[in-house]
Amino acid sequence: MRALVLLLLAAANSFGAAWFVTISGLGGEAEYDTRFAGWATDLDKAVRGVPDAQVHTYSGKLATRETLRKAFADFATKVKKEDTFTVVLIGHGTFDGVEYKFNIPGPDFTAAELAGWCDKIAADRQLIVNTTSAGGASIAALQKPNRTIISATRSGTEKNATLFARYFVEAFRDPGADTDKNEVLSALEAFRYADLKTVRFFETMKRLATEHAVLEDTGKGEAVRNPAPDNGKGLAAARFPLMSLGNAQKFSPEKQQLVEKKQDIEGQIDKLKYEKAAMDLAEYRRKLGSLLVELAKTQEELDK
Amino acid sequence: MKLLTLLVLASAMNWAATVAECDGHRKHGRKQPAFDCYLALTSSKDMAVVAEGFWGLKQFKAANDAFRKAQDANPKSADVRVRWGMMFLERFQKKDAADLFTEALELKKDDARALLGLAIVASESYEEKAVETAREALKQDPKLVEAQELLARMALEDGNETLAKEEADKAIAMSAEALNALAVRATIEWLNDRPGTEWSDKILKINPVYGQAWALAAHFFVINRRYEEGILLYRKAIAMEPELWDAKAELGVNLMRLGRDKDAREFLEDAYSHEYKSASVVNTLTLMDSYKNFVRYQTPVTDVRLHKKEAELLKPFFETELLRAIATYEKKYKMKLPNAVRLEVYPDHDDFAVRTMGLPGLGALGVTFGTVVAMDSPSGRKPGTFHWASTLWHELNHVFVLTATEHRVPRWFAEGMAMHEETAGNPEWGDRLDPGAIDAIKKKKLLPIATLDRGFVRPSYPNQVTVSFFQAGKICDYIKERWGFEKLLEMMRGFAARKTTVVVVEEALKMKPEDFDKDFMVWLDKQVGKTVAGYDEWRKNLKIIADNFKEKQYDEVIKKSKAIRDLYPDYVEAGNIYEFLADSYTEKGDKAAAAKELLAYAKIGGRNPATLKRLGKLLEEQGNPKEAAAAYERINYVYPVQDEELHTRLGLLWLELKEPSKAVLEFSAAVASKPMDPTVAYFNLAKAFRAAGRKDEARDNLLSALESAPGFKPAQKMLLELTDK
Repeated sequence: MRALVLLLLAAANSFGAAWFVTISGLGGEAEYDTRFAGWATDLDKAVRGVPDAQVHTYSGKLATRETLRKAFADFATKVKKEDTFTVVLIGHGTFDGVEYKFNIPGPDFTAAELAGWCDKIAADRQLIVNTTSAGGASIAALQKPNRTIISATRSGTEKNATLFARYFVEAFRDPGADTDKNEVLSALEAFRYADLKTVRFFETMKRLATEHAVLEDTGKGEAVRNPAPDNGKGLAAARFPLMSLGNAQKFSPEKQQLVEKKQDIEGQIDKLKYEKAAMDLAEYRRKLGSLLVELAKTQEELDK
Repeated sequence: MKLLTLLVLASAMNWAATVAECDGHRKHGRKQPAFDCYLALTSSKDMAVVAEGFWGLKQFKAANDAFRKAQDANPKSADVRVRWGMMFLERFQKKDAADLFTEALELKKDDARALLGLAIVASESYEEKAVETAREALKQDPKLVEAQELLARMALEDGNETLAKEEADKAIAMSAEALNALAVRATIEWLNDRPGTEWSDKILKINPVYGQAWALAAHFFVINRRYEEGILLYRKAIAMEPELWDAKAELGVNLMRLGRDKDAREFLEDAYSHEYKSASVVNTLTLMDSYKNFVRYQTPVTDVRLHKKEAELLKPFFETELLRAIATYEKKYKMKLPNAVRLEVYPDHDDFAVRTMGLPGLGALGVTFGTVVAMDSPSGRKPGTFHWASTLWHELNHVFVLTATEHRVPRWFAEGMAMHEETAGNPEWGDRLDPGAIDAIKKKKLLPIATLDRGFVRPSYPNQVTVSFFQAGKICDYIKERWGFEKLLEMMRGFAARKTTVVVVEEALKMKPEDFDKDFMVWLDKQVGKTVAGYDEWRKNLKIIADNFKEKQYDEVIKKSKAIRDLYPDYVEAGNIYEFLADSYTEKGDKAAAAKELLAYAKIGGRNPATLKRLGKLLEEQGNPKEAAAAYERINYVYPVQDEELHTRLGLLWLELKEPSKAVLEFSAAVASKPMDPTVAYFNLAKAFRAAGRKDEARDNLLSALESAPGFKPAQKMLLELTDK
């Protein structure tokens, strides 16, 4: 998986732009207005550092349905197939049992409307992060192949204001969020980071958790709390690069062979990890150790 | 037997029975006549009598319906309410019972039986008012033998055998067949290892199957922490009266307390399946069902059980501390324990509370049954409110003292020794002098040593149990200081030899208890007199300081805080002087002075993790990694959970200080905290293992780091270094 991620990252970095559309809705109270706008601003600042980033942030009065409809129509004319396209909703959502709506000045927009706008975007890799209350109710309308959906809540019945957005934004600033240390923050890593931090918040405060984040990235089936190979979720999210944390290395043609060797070893490691459950643990660790040493040596050669 | 069948049978009986006759049969152990008699009552036209019949037959629902109808028929009857309430009491519904007794008293002022009912309700919670209410009942009806029996029982619960005998004898004088008074007399003999046959024979002569007498005795053995003997008595009670469900339930609960889970479950399920669904039965069964969620770690002398969600994280801390405490106590008390100590740590306080249900005066944080210790997990408490290591040492001390004395030790001495040991090993541990104790000293509410146990069992003011813990601990501190630790051991041996507090004080300390009390108060005054005298001034000024701080008058805060800080140095709770000073110094840019105040806070026993972390950071900034590490390490004994940052920071400091073994402990804790960044956590652990010369474990953890992040270069580099070598 990792080798594939690197290849895709390389492709994304080389050829595609990274589109970030952040929409901050109505807070209803001054405290929430400030909080939502603050998170949107922080996210805006964080992603502006991404190479080839196209950052569009809509807060307060700017975030009307008509403005957004026109903006998405404009994006549809500009976003290319090889680009990544990320939409982040920050604010309050509602669900009346039939339809999810995102609360903005003037008429709200529905999940179906947002899906319609995004369907016109050519990018092969799309990510919609709905951090609002009741966001779980938007998943069914939004899901489709090649689109990863992250929701702060698992259903429309989780109606309390959420915290997930705070930690999702924090993931862009904390190097610890890049758990595989490949210097790229993936959508899956950001999801896991925000989810874990949210869970811990409720645990530490000894409060009943009122939000349970989920992820869906296959275009079918239910969103899940813990994306993993056994439930088939998380692969596309792991391949979705949100932000590069380091400088892409350029290799001379003579080192290209080493790059290929490295990718081959990484592929073997990924394969081995998938076989782990069926293997004797000692044997697994032995093979893993050998591959990791080989990989480390190859990397050492590459770095010379 | 089904209700309908009973009714048919009852209607067939053509003789008229009275409730008193039926109760008489039962009291004398004539089971079949009692059954027939109660059955006959159910055909009465008087619903109150019908209710008594069904109650006697243990048909509680039918009895309840009949009582309701009786009340509807006679809404002004206090008697119906009292009897109905008594049935509720038997069915463990104290609140409903108390409501009915109160209603009865509204209908009939000073109704003796209603007062008795309220006294029983209060006695079940060991409330002080139980005694006065029982006395009031007797005043209203001097022939109410049950009230007199209750007084005897409560006196014995208070540990006052002389009074218990007097009260029991009064009851026996009122009625030679006062079975429960006879049981109290027999119990006093049994508690003192005498056969007591003069009393048990009398009981058996009146009722050859009166198992309740032995169940009552069992209750006293249990509240005196003599669980094994209590269990034997419950078994005997059940053998005599197999349908004594409350005894079966108590037997199950006490077997559970001693860790005999299989037997415990058998008795509890038996009680439950026979509709004896008291809170203790239900909660204990629920607790036992949750045992599957616990992970067990054993050594030859320990058996630690931790909840699986935090087992890996807490195991090194709890096991290490438990082993250290056992080794320390073995040396100090010159003894070995008969078996491994079982330590159960509950992240959910309600689970822990099940273990202490129905026992008076036990700690709210930990409890000991024989060699079984149960306690709260730090994760079950608000950070900073619970020093788990202190509690562990406290409870383990009970294991030693109870074992050494075969559980023949007064409560004050057991708690006093445990309190003493909390601070003996580390003066920062243990409880601080709190405002409740200050108030008690000021108002001269401390009890004489001879009756100090009463403060634990039946408190006469709200925080008397806490004050009694404090006083008992200080008494042991005083004895150690004046006569040496050996004297405490001598007293312990005195208690083991079945001597009373009065005798032990006289023999070991060569003085009358009254003289001891006087000397102790003089000593205590030297210890805390300044605080007690200055408390009001301190409190008044603290408020002014808080206001000054709000108004950012930092010079004023510093000036006033310094003036009163030493009036009450033990105060380290929210809004303490140390933090006001530290905050003010910080505002003025004097970080060194701020650190000095926070260090004083830590050394006097301050344990708020956030404050200790702040101290650690200040000390790190000042280039004092050793003191910084010490500041962070204090948090491990208070709240080592949900804080990977603490363990990582401390681990790095230990590495810097060339203490790799300690670094291993901390980074292991960081890994077990399910960190946000497991790669770095494993890598740090690998570094610590490498520094400790444990290369295989270092390599193993590097593999774990690289498993999730194969390209993590620092780990790759170390892997190659370890592999090459």
